[in-house]
Amino acid sequence: MAYANDLQNGFSRTGSVKAPAIRCREVTLRAKKKTILDRVSFEVPAGSLAGLLGPNGAGKSSLMRILTGMVPPDSGQAELFCAPAGPERLGVLSFLPDRGQLPPYLGAGEWLQLAAGLYPDWSEARKEDLIVKLDVDPGQRIGSMSRGQEARLQLLTCLSRQAPIVILDEPFAGVDMVSRESIAQAVVGELADGERTFLIATHDIREMENLFDRIVLIGGGRLLGCHDVEELRASGRSVESCYRDVFA
Amino acid sequence: MPPIRIWKPEDFRLDPSRPLYEQFVEQVRAMIAKGELESGTRLPSVREAAGSLRVNPTTIMKTYQELERLGLIVTHRGQGTFVTESEATIVNSRRELAREAVARLEDTARSIGLTLDQLLALAREKE
Repeated sequence: MAYANDLQNGFSRTGSVKAPAIRCREVTLRAKKKTILDRVSFEVPAGSLAGLLGPNGAGKSSLMRILTGMVPPDSGQAELFCAPAGPERLGVLSFLPDRGQLPPYLGAGEWLQLAAGLYPDWSEARKEDLIVKLDVDPGQRIGSMSRGQEARLQLLTCLSRQAPIVILDEPFAGVDMVSRESIAQAVVGELADGERTFLIATHDIREMENLFDRIVLIGGGRLLGCHDVEELRASGRSVESCYRDVFA
Repeated sequence: MPPIRIWKPEDFRLDPSRPLYEQFVEQVRAMIAKGELESGTRLPSVREAAGSLRVNPTTIMKTYQELERLGLIVTHRGQGTFVTESEATIVNSRRELAREAVARLEDTARSIGLTLDQLLALAREKE
């Protein structure tokens, strides 16, 4: 069958053959008396795209801080490809923080040169390809960029690295429609190659719902749902209706 | 080499509460039956289609697999994926679509207590 090669190369994302890219088991985080994350457990299969959904303050950013190794969980395990998450695992993941700021006084091209020197897994070839796809102007000063232009440059920085796990925290916040579309298109391209796993925290369900393989719903620090989107739709529900059922 | 048909999101109407690939298959079948998508037209790769439609590549892969299973598209190694040139296959597909449409119409008739013939007669009645 024509697509058998695709199946071998990573499109068989049932998780049964490959180790999960991300696995959280009873992850708990506390601050003083407050429980920020309460026994959160879920998996993201390698090569798939998972949406991390939930209202502000639900614990999404704290969960991402644990996965990116910035803070350890108080109990439970957070694993990337079956080994514990931690600052030493930065080579395996690429993180785009919420409203992360790039140095405003640099031009885009200068920033990218800096980034190339910073990351051992940087790929000039990918960068060249993505500069076109994300329509980034290397001569433009970062301080003069719109939110959408800066978001595209940030994604470009993330994806020019070859780290297999990409975590994006609100990549569409305040971003214009055309930029959102090219960001979504760039993510699709990466998925198609089968080598990247994405975890994307977003409020922009409309733009992403046709891309999610899985949705993880977090509310009040707890896991309120983890659904395979294909199965959801097969049972007559949409990502939006599922979100509403859980949070409204 | 025939030109590649580029898919745009506006080419499809999608219901987010139903499996997307089923809808893509239905709508591409209809395009082929209507002649809107001509025999021999070259289709974009899974990657290109997923990108321009902004959907998960797995969805496109399942769509193409099903269309290929139905014989409506064929892949020639090294050349790409094309809409079938078999007139018989297209006629069969059109017949199948007609049967499905009639089945839906019969369901509608039944829901108001009529047979299909009664429904059609009633609709054509002059007041």
